[in-house]
Amino acid sequence: MSETAPAISIAGIRKRYGAVQALDGVSFEVAQGEFFGFLGPNGAGKTTTINALMGLARLDEGEISIFGYDTVRDWRQARAMVGLAPQEYNFDRYLSIRDVLIYQAGYFGLTSRAVAARADELLARFSLTSKANDPYTRLSGGMKRRLTLARALIHSPRLLVLDEPTAGVDVELRLELWELLRELNRDGMTIFLTTHYLDEAESLCRRIGIIDDGRLKALEPTQRLLELAGATVLNVTLDRQVRSLPVECAELRPSFEPGSRQVTFEGVAPSGLSRALFILENAGFSIEDVAFSRPSLQEVFLKMTHRRGAM
Amino acid sequence: MIENWVGFHTLVKREWQRTMKILNQVIWPPIITTVLYVFVFGLALGSRIKSVDGVSYGAFLIPGLIMLQIIDASYGECSSSLFQSRFLGSIGELLVAPLSAFELVSGFLLAGVMRAFFIAFLILSVGAVLTHALPHVWWLAIVVVGLVATLFSALGIVFGLMAEKFDHIAVLTTFVITPLTFVGGVFTSITFLPPLMRFISYVNPIFYMIDALRYCFTLHSDVSIVLSLTVITSLTAAATFLAFQLVASGYKLRL
Repeated sequence: MSETAPAISIAGIRKRYGAVQALDGVSFEVAQGEFFGFLGPNGAGKTTTINALMGLARLDEGEISIFGYDTVRDWRQARAMVGLAPQEYNFDRYLSIRDVLIYQAGYFGLTSRAVAARADELLARFSLTSKANDPYTRLSGGMKRRLTLARALIHSPRLLVLDEPTAGVDVELRLELWELLRELNRDGMTIFLTTHYLDEAESLCRRIGIIDDGRLKALEPTQRLLELAGATVLNVTLDRQVRSLPVECAELRPSFEPGSRQVTFEGVAPSGLSRALFILENAGFSIEDVAFSRPSLQEVFLKMTHRRGAM
Repeated sequence: MIENWVGFHTLVKREWQRTMKILNQVIWPPIITTVLYVFVFGLALGSRIKSVDGVSYGAFLIPGLIMLQIIDASYGECSSSLFQSRFLGSIGELLVAPLSAFELVSGFLLAGVMRAFFIAFLILSVGAVLTHALPHVWWLAIVVVGLVATLFSALGIVFGLMAEKFDHIAVLTTFVITPLTFVGGVFTSITFLPPLMRFISYVNPIFYMIDALRYCFTLHSDVSIVLSLTVITSLTAAATFLAFQLVASGYKLRL
C-alpha cells in the first residue's frame, strides 16, 4: 500500500447492463482522508460505481484501485481496506447483532477473540449494547441503520463507503450520524458518501462528484460547486424609500424598485457585505433588516443533471 | 487454495450455526422418515423377505435410507442457505470480504458435508438400534458418504445460484433426486428387478451411491465397488468444478 496513493482511483470505467450504459467512462480520484460526496439522480450510476468499487460488479472497461491496490489484481488487499454500509439491510438473520459484527470481522480474517472487544465497543458507541443478543429483525429502523455502520467499521477499514446512510432516519439520529461521520473523518478515515439529501452532502463533504446517465457531470470542491450555481444575494431593507443610491455603491451592482425600501445586491462576496452596509449607512439610511441568501446544492444539482424530478 | 483461513472457518461456523438454529427441521424429519420406512417396509416385506445379501431386510434398508437422507441434507443445506442469502441480500457480507471463490465454495461444501455426516450418524444410530446394522468397512463408508455429500452440496450450490424462486430449488429434489433414489435400490436389490428396470438402474447414478454404501454394510454389491466409486468420484468432481466455475465467474452474485 502506498502512503501517497489516492484512497480511490477510478479510471475510465464502463459498465453496460443489456441496453443500458450504466457507466460510461467515469474517472476520478478521492484523496486519502477526504470526505467525498457522490451525487446523482436515481439510475445515474451511483450504485453501479459503488458495486464496482466493492467488487460486486464486473467492469467492461477501466480500472479501480483502492489505496494503490487494484480491485481486480490485488482484490484481497483492496477489499480489506474498505467497509461498506449499504442502503439495504442485508444482515444475517440467524445471528445476534453482536455475532453479525464478529462474523463479519471473521470473513475479513480477524479472529473472534481479537474482535469481540471491538464489537462490544462499537455496539456501545452506536447505543446497541442492550440489543447485543437479539437478531437484527428486532431492531428499530434507526438501530438497523446504526448497525449497518457498526458492521462496516468492525474490521477497522481505512475507507468507508456509505450508500444513503441516513435514508429513513429521524432528524435527531441523522444529526447524530453526521457528527459520528465527521469524527471518523477527523480521525483520518476516508469517506465516500452517496446521499439523496443534498444538505447532507453540502454539510459534510469537502468535494462532490455529480453523475448522470453514467457520466461524471461535475467534480469540484463543494464551495466551488455552490459558486457555480449562481450568485449570492444580499437583500437590505432600509428605514425609508429609496430614490437614489450613492455612487460608491455602483461597484456592488445594487438594484431597487423606485419607491421601495429594499435594495438587492446580487453576486456580492461575503467581504462585500459590510462594505455595502457601510455605504448605505453613510448615505443616511438606517438598516432595518438584512437577508443574505446563497445558492443551495440542490440548484447546482438540478442545473448539472437538467432534472426537476426527484433524485 | 485457501489463504483466508479465518474467513473460511467463519463461513463454515456460520453455516453450522444456521443448521443448529433450525435443528428441529434438520433432525426430526430424517429420523421419523427412517423409523417409518424401517417399520412399514420391514413389517410389510420383512416377513416375506427373510434376508437379502445375507442380512435381514431391515438391515438391508439402512444404507439406502442413509443415502436418501444425506443426499437431502447436503443438497438442502447448500441450496437453501445460498438461495436465502441471495434472496435476503446477506450474501453481500461474504462478497465484499476478502474471500476467494475457492474459499466460498469450499466453505459451503464443508458445511454441507458436515451436515450430511451429522444426519448419517443419526440414521446410523437409529438403524443400529432397530436393525443392528453397522458398516463392516467403516473407512469406505466414510469415503462414500463424504463423496456423495460433496456431490450434492455442490449441486446445492449450483441450484442455489440458479434458482429465482424457492420452488426452483425443489425442482431437482422433486423431479430428479427423489425418483432416482427410490428406483436406485433403496428398498430392493436390482437383481430382483425385471431386465428393463435393471438396465434403467445402471444409468441411474444414485444406484451406484446406494450400492457402494450397502457394500460397506453387507460386503455384497450389485456392481463392482470400483465402478461405483469411479461413477461417484467423477460426478463429484464434475459438480464441484461446475459450482466453482459459477461462483468464480460471479454468476448471479457479482453483476
